[in-house]
Amino acid sequence: MKNPRSLLLEGLSLTLRHPAAFLWTYAFNLGIALLFSLRLHSQLAALLNHSIAAERLNSAFDLGTLIAATNRLHHGSPTTGSASYLGLPLYFLVYFLLVPGTLSAYQSATPARLSTLISTGIDFFWRFVRITLITLLVSAAILGPLLYFQSLWSDHVADTYTGLSSFLHLLPGILLLALIAALLRLYFDLVEVCTIQQANQTPPDRRIRRALLPALRTLAHNLPRALGAFLLLTLLGLLALFLTARIAAHTLAQPHVWPLFLLAQAGLFLLLFTRFWQRAAETIFVLDNPTTAPTFPPLRGTRPHTPDPQPDPEPAPPSLSEPDPGVFHHDPAPLPPRR
Amino acid sequence: MLRVLFAAALLIAPAAATAQPSIATNSPVPLSTRVVDYNIDAKVDVSRKTLDATESLTYRNLTGQPLTSFPFHLYLNAFQPDSTFTSETHFSGGIRDSESEDTYPDRKRGSIVISHLEADGFGDLTPALHFASPDDNNPADRTVAVVDLAHPLAPGDSITFHIRFHDQFPESVARNGYKRDFLMGGQWFPKLGVFWHGAWNCHQYHATTEFFSDFGTFHVALTLPRNYIVGASGVPNSDHLNPDGTRTRSFYAEDVHDFAWAASPHFTLTTDTFASSLGPVQVRVLALAAHPRAGPRYLSILLGAMRQFEDRFGPYPYKVLTLIDPEPDSEMEGMEYPTLITGGTAWFEPTYLTELTAEHEFGHQYWYGMVATNEFEDAWLDEGINSYTEVNVAAALLGRDTSALSLPWLNLSDLGLQYAAYLSAPNSDPVTRHAWQFRNSASYGGITYGKSALLLKTLEGLLGKDTMNEAMRTWFQRTRFTHPTTEDFLNTIEEVATRHGRTTGKISNSRPLDACFDKKHGIGIDSLHCTQNIPWNTDSGFRPFFQQAVYGTATLDYSVDSIISTPVQWWNPDDPGKHLRDTVTIRRLGDFLLPVTLEVRFSDGTRIREQWAPTGDDNDRWKTFTYLRDARILSAEIDPDHNLPLDVDTFNNSRNEAPHRIPALKLTTLWLTATQLASQLAGWLI
Repeated sequence: MKNPRSLLLEGLSLTLRHPAAFLWTYAFNLGIALLFSLRLHSQLAALLNHSIAAERLNSAFDLGTLIAATNRLHHGSPTTGSASYLGLPLYFLVYFLLVPGTLSAYQSATPARLSTLISTGIDFFWRFVRITLITLLVSAAILGPLLYFQSLWSDHVADTYTGLSSFLHLLPGILLLALIAALLRLYFDLVEVCTIQQANQTPPDRRIRRALLPALRTLAHNLPRALGAFLLLTLLGLLALFLTARIAAHTLAQPHVWPLFLLAQAGLFLLLFTRFWQRAAETIFVLDNPTTAPTFPPLRGTRPHTPDPQPDPEPAPPSLSEPDPGVFHHDPAPLPPRR
Repeated sequence: MLRVLFAAALLIAPAAATAQPSIATNSPVPLSTRVVDYNIDAKVDVSRKTLDATESLTYRNLTGQPLTSFPFHLYLNAFQPDSTFTSETHFSGGIRDSESEDTYPDRKRGSIVISHLEADGFGDLTPALHFASPDDNNPADRTVAVVDLAHPLAPGDSITFHIRFHDQFPESVARNGYKRDFLMGGQWFPKLGVFWHGAWNCHQYHATTEFFSDFGTFHVALTLPRNYIVGASGVPNSDHLNPDGTRTRSFYAEDVHDFAWAASPHFTLTTDTFASSLGPVQVRVLALAAHPRAGPRYLSILLGAMRQFEDRFGPYPYKVLTLIDPEPDSEMEGMEYPTLITGGTAWFEPTYLTELTAEHEFGHQYWYGMVATNEFEDAWLDEGINSYTEVNVAAALLGRDTSALSLPWLNLSDLGLQYAAYLSAPNSDPVTRHAWQFRNSASYGGITYGKSALLLKTLEGLLGKDTMNEAMRTWFQRTRFTHPTTEDFLNTIEEVATRHGRTTGKISNSRPLDACFDKKHGIGIDSLHCTQNIPWNTDSGFRPFFQQAVYGTATLDYSVDSIISTPVQWWNPDDPGKHLRDTVTIRRLGDFLLPVTLEVRFSDGTRIREQWAPTGDDNDRWKTFTYLRDARILSAEIDPDHNLPLDVDTFNNSRNEAPHRIPALKLTTLWLTATQLASQLAGWLI
């Protein structure tokens, strides 16, 4: 049996072979946020640029000054903050378009040009919307009761324990919830990969439900391997974000902005990169674990397929001793000599 | 040292004439006029969270008039769904538990029931006991009960009540009750109102009110299971093990107006002695075992705060101070009782909020404990003054800019915290509004704590630190162990300010001559408002300030509207632009009138200070200062010494000619990062 490929290394390789996918996503992430922060920045600039009181945010970072600035901003323009959040749904929409194209590029080894990503995204848009809705429904059905039990446990712990002991009693439940949430995310990631895979088959199949069971079989086939890689990359991304955020925080009091900006962007970039790395690893995982598509009943509204009746064999042609001169007149010219 | 001895003499002198036998834990003679004497014997059932007690209360009628009725506070009855306290908390917000849900769980029901009441010489008064709702006529409110006597109590006579009562402690909603196996006995016994200004002052318990009581003595015996560690007001004077597995501890407190206790099986004791000028004070910290670092932290800040208060205002006269570290989320954090306070911390607490809470509650030993103002009607006199002194003491102990949070890359001052509270509700109510009459709990908090602290800091800026310190010291020395009012406080400020010459003179105009006369060009600019009179701050003392800041809701907001430097000969193309006409226009955006100082900085290094008092005949909204100089204006700043923290917008107080873009870019970068992260996290749904 052929040894399975390393999900992490092959996933990384696949991600790096299609850099445009995550670079475009990051560009949209940054660009949209920048676009929707412009109004806020202009108001902050009007408030702070010429004020001596703002000096406490220049070579230091005084939280009281920040609170006062936020108050003045809200007092002057109460809708500024909420207007900036409009970038979030726009990015969400763009992400809906970029993910299918990325997965398709990972599977087909075609370059992840923006036009390709967008056109694939448009083609798969509603299918991915349906997958997301199913994800939310299933997650709510599974995580909802678990969250309820966790809240009951939390109340019990709050009534019984305090301090570090309380936190340690809550931690296992929180970790269990996180693990199940990760498992759900992993499964629906695989559903998305299988949806792309089946759409690229001949003949293409646009039905999402055809991807649900194969994804489950693929996941069940080697759950520890897939979940391990998924969790590792998730932790890697969060760790990168935490470390860069921590270092960036220490630059807050400096009279420069670029260290803060660069470090924050590095953390966000790494978080996004590890997510695409996860997608690539999942693609490798699905490709390495092909599952036989189950036989499904025919689609509703199509007629049952009945094979054509076998025609009677044709009568044998009459046997001739030599070609019929009336039929074969071809007398090809001799071929040129080979050199 | 002389000052300390003088202070000790002052402390003893007022009561020396009325010396009486005493256990004398504080002083050989009473420090206060002892109106009440409570003897309470209580047994606590920790499993049912109940308490049964007998109370013997002797009241001395020092009112100068016959008394026919006596009102009692029954605070624990507030924890019922139809009480005034709960109704206000539900609809206007509480300063602790919000009670915002539409159900009132049984575990949060608390009550105090008087099963028997009699008085020596008056017989059984139980049938004469009835509830009253003097503030809102809520018939369902049972936090005040009144007993009418068959015949009046003559002036100078005493009456002794004998009461049996039963407490049901609630899971804590505010200040008292239980949380897990922690019990807080605050406002737990029938307590008399105060006969004050010719009438009984006994308000219902409201969502935003605290307490008001007469000074006296307390003898309290508490019986609890042996494994419970108890902290209480006063000094312990006996300890007895009972055969039923319980333990009875007795406490005595004098010259106090309340008695509280707390008990938990999880307390650990950290203790030290503070060397007061009046003798040693035992400082006890009962911290939860779950907060292993809390004990030393509490103790350190308490010892520092006690030294600061003694140096600033006068010595702490009691022999003991106990700090209770309550259970987390208990709604009992940060509370003050005589010689007993509660702190507030967590197992991970990297800020100075633990220290600030302890310091604030210790401050209440002065502003509430000894200067026993009416917390129902003049909440700002205890919470506001205490917040003001907290800012100064915390700055002295923890750093001016770092007294709330001190990280290498992030800082927050206690003053910044108070300012944030003030900005949350700067002008809904005057600080003098009765505590239950504020618009809502947010306004109560923002005004009573934040605005009060800032108006006193502003007053400090106007008076000068030394004068303000002396005024506060005089206020404490003069009014401790009494029930003073807002006017008493303001009169004290004015008196000390007058003594220091702060209320009679006009604010001096220290502007240099060259600001008014351009010597080089011989251009006088008097016609451009160079000279001015300051009509404010004359014989009326600080009353205009008090009327606006204390009694009013005016908003203080001054701004630098523009700074412009243009060539004098603007029409002459041959003029190189060296001779400039510099103008600064400042505006009064709020309706608060106050003289302000303007500092103008020029490119040749000159700094000029101007004064503007937009009051009286000059009650304008704007003022333009004009200078003819060879230098352009680099910046202009109102209140350059930062003496007016009451200004609601400090950003518009100044204007730099050259922009500094870093602050706005920093904040934009933070916002940008946050929205990017939120977007990426939302992407995990796909």
